[in-house]
Amino acid sequence: MAIVNPAAEAFAASDRAEPEAVEYPGERASWLQVAPLVVVLLLFFGLPMLVVLAVSFFDFSRTEIIPAFIFDNYIELFRSEVTLRLYASSLKFAAIVWAVTLVLGFNIAYFLVFHVRGLLFQIGLFLLCTVPFLTSNIIRMISWIPFLGRNGIFNQALQGAGVTSQPLEFLLFSDFAVIVAYVHLFTLFMVVPIFNSMARIDKSLLEAARDAGAGRFRVVAEVVWPLSRTGIALGSIFVVTLVMGDSFVVRTMSGGQSASVVSALQNEVAALQYPPAAASAVIMVIIVTLMVAGILRVVDVRKELAG
Amino acid sequence: MAPSASAASGEVAVVGVTKRFGETTAVKDLSLTIPHGSYCCLLGPSGCGKTTILRMIAGHEKPTSGDVRIGGQSVLGLPQIERGTAMMFQSYALFPHRSVLDNVAFALKMRGASTADRHAKARELLTKVQLEKFADRLPAQLSGGQQQRVALARALITNPRVLLLDEPLSALDEYLRLRMRGELRRVQKELGITFVHVTHTQLEAIAVADTVVVMAQGHIEQAASARDIFVAPRNAYVARFVGGQNVLSGSVESAMNGVAAVAGKNGVRYAIPVGDLRPMRGSPLWGSIRRDRVAIEKIAPGAKPTTGLNAVVGEVHTLENQGSYVKVTLDLADSEEFVAHVADENFFAHPLDIGERVVARWSASDVKLLEDGPIAEERTPAGTAMATAG
Amino acid sequence: MHGDDTRPWTFYAFAAFFTLFVLFLYGPMIVIYILSFQGPNGGMTFPLNGVSLHWFSALVSQTRVGDIAGSFVRSIGLAAIVAVITVALSVLAGLAFRRRFRGSAFAFYLAIASLIMPGLFVGLGIALTFRLLGLPTEWFTTGLGAQLTWTLPFGLLIMFAVLGRFNRSYEEAAIDLGATNWQKVREVTLPILLPGIIGVALFGFTLSYDEIARTALAAGARNTLPLEIWAMTTNVTSPTLYAVGAVTTIVSFIVIILALGSIAIVQRRRAAAGMRTE
Repeated sequence: MAIVNPAAEAFAASDRAEPEAVEYPGERASWLQVAPLVVVLLLFFGLPMLVVLAVSFFDFSRTEIIPAFIFDNYIELFRSEVTLRLYASSLKFAAIVWAVTLVLGFNIAYFLVFHVRGLLFQIGLFLLCTVPFLTSNIIRMISWIPFLGRNGIFNQALQGAGVTSQPLEFLLFSDFAVIVAYVHLFTLFMVVPIFNSMARIDKSLLEAARDAGAGRFRVVAEVVWPLSRTGIALGSIFVVTLVMGDSFVVRTMSGGQSASVVSALQNEVAALQYPPAAASAVIMVIIVTLMVAGILRVVDVRKELAG
Repeated sequence: MAPSASAASGEVAVVGVTKRFGETTAVKDLSLTIPHGSYCCLLGPSGCGKTTILRMIAGHEKPTSGDVRIGGQSVLGLPQIERGTAMMFQSYALFPHRSVLDNVAFALKMRGASTADRHAKARELLTKVQLEKFADRLPAQLSGGQQQRVALARALITNPRVLLLDEPLSALDEYLRLRMRGELRRVQKELGITFVHVTHTQLEAIAVADTVVVMAQGHIEQAASARDIFVAPRNAYVARFVGGQNVLSGSVESAMNGVAAVAGKNGVRYAIPVGDLRPMRGSPLWGSIRRDRVAIEKIAPGAKPTTGLNAVVGEVHTLENQGSYVKVTLDLADSEEFVAHVADENFFAHPLDIGERVVARWSASDVKLLEDGPIAEERTPAGTAMATAG
Repeated sequence: MHGDDTRPWTFYAFAAFFTLFVLFLYGPMIVIYILSFQGPNGGMTFPLNGVSLHWFSALVSQTRVGDIAGSFVRSIGLAAIVAVITVALSVLAGLAFRRRFRGSAFAFYLAIASLIMPGLFVGLGIALTFRLLGLPTEWFTTGLGAQLTWTLPFGLLIMFAVLGRFNRSYEEAAIDLGATNWQKVREVTLPILLPGIIGVALFGFTLSYDEIARTALAAGARNTLPLEIWAMTTNVTSPTLYAVGAVTTIVSFIVIILALGSIAIVQRRRAAAGMRTE
């Protein structure tokens, strides 16, 4: 016969009461605090994305979109060789811009973190790089036109210095101009995360490497580069998604010669062909997500960002 | 039974407290009573739960089970204003965006005191800690020792009945640390309130406290006066942690007239007093001998040293000059560290060399029994450690 | 680091590289500002045919160039609203993430996804959603919402950075000294976080003020300034475009200087080095 000890029972009950509150103290408060942001994002991002997914299966006529569930839009997409060309173009730009911004971003971050002395100087120079980012993208983009044009500053300077006798045509309204504009606009997205990662590196690690006989370059290769991986991954994600998702830069700077997936999409939207545009968007999102997932396999970004 | 404590009393009672953080148990069913107006140190290595206890008394953590009472009344769940405790944080946590004066006056501002009133009171306190000239500076402009005095003043402005100090001296350099010890002691005596001070530094605890509570892994190993902790450690853990003792151990060979002969490793033998207790043959037994009660004798070349139960032969392993004595560490055959503190005149009159074989000798009456192993069951188990008043 | 005072040759190499980069960043913009002072008969590129404010006055007088004044006012107003909302929601959400809570991963990835999703898709989605619901798109409703999908994740990331360096014992000390939760937040948490909060406001404002991709499809009938400028790039062939660029950048600079200035003032009143004790 089991003897029940009421005190023990009470104790055990209070132990069992609200185990989750003990596991996650203050959880309710956090839910309340994060709710507004989540609601706004669900309303203006989550829901619209689902709608795009739904519309990608719709039918359409010249005047309206017709709710349906057909795969025609996707089939068209996969059958058209324009799609392939567009993706090739976008991916080409993404790859080149990624490489250039990585080289630039890494070196600039390295300079700011390891060569600049004095916190004030570091912050000052960092701000110097950041301020243009806080001004209008469009203006910064079109400011390259008078710079690179046939009668632009660059050509005039080259001709004035006697390097060339004819203006260089390829500078503007070409793939070159597109890449220059991308690099101009997006390098900062590489610099900031890499700067962040590098600033966290314990300086004594570098000293230990020098101590062990590593030359300047080896120190960077063996210590700095591996420890900046998170920043590089983050920056890469930013740059790749920004380039793949762009239509404004490629339209303007290529003079209409090149196109990107999204600029073609913008055309479809202008023609009110929403379902094909939606299908194109869905495919693009899948592809970019795969690229991002690939980058994320290298590094756990959440731990780095949110602690 | 002690008379019931009045509400104003600063007696702190931790009753059967357990604290779990997810999977880990930081404190296991711990009970402790700290008398009103005493200075109590919680001493132990990191992770032993001492800071957790302190924070539970302060109300910054809630016990998973058990009670915390101050002045006889439970303070669990009470808002800060009603607890009567104040805490000094390890990093001081002085508000960087407020002047020293505003920092000290902060608690009064929270209670709605007028600006004139609280500034006046704050200035009074700053004068007491000799910082009245710094009232309008920012904390960043003060030295570490000054910041600590501000933190102290800030905590005291509410006239708490219990002051809780979380490793208050560890951010200071050695010289300041030694000076501030005396300051804290002096302030406590002057105010007459209860101090609970968490530290991992043994000598600091002994220097300031009336009662030292040695903790390990969430429970109390020994709670006793500072003197008793040093001269009469209860078990091998306390003896080793507090320092100043050598731990002797081995298995019992025989017990006669209140003394057990114990065989350690590799033929070393000790005598450990056991009083009325009757340890079984072959059971393990522990004892301690103070390091400053051990005399070192050189061995004349060719002579065979006489040992016996209160002496061992060993090789000098390290020598450390500690000013008024030299710390001589011997390498015994049984691999436990054996240390003798030799007064400096004696040492330098007949210096030793590293590697030299010597005899360490002590008097039998200086050896104390430790409550480890089977012998511990024969004594009353120390389930509830009652801290004694100093 | 290098203990001695002499700098290795790599420093000069890097410094030169950095200077080139800064020129690369600022050069073209400066060209446009100079060109905005183009003489009345000048063209879109150099040489400068005299110096005048002709094209600036053309901004306000000619309606041919579009609704500059209107879109300008709309953009400023919208940016201010976006800044306020972004600060409120990002600060709250940032505080939420200090604790572990179920669903935190979902919220986090939702924000990140919103950040890297191409803006046009978000705009397209919003336009389609509201169209299907039969509701109109307006710059102050859907335009606002679209821009928030860009600024909120940024604000959240900034709060993560700021809160990561925030020492919680300040808050504990406040509680210990008798502060209620509300007093603690008002007297200790927010004042110490203030520089970060100003940063979030700055980003919220400027990101909204310059935003084009998300707003393009979600703004409704009335354009914001960037959309007006975009329209101008295709059908305006005079330096008026540069004048617009100069003016809008001046506004951006004013906002940036205000924000950075207030951060500097706050920090100076606090001797920022004292955020940690030694």
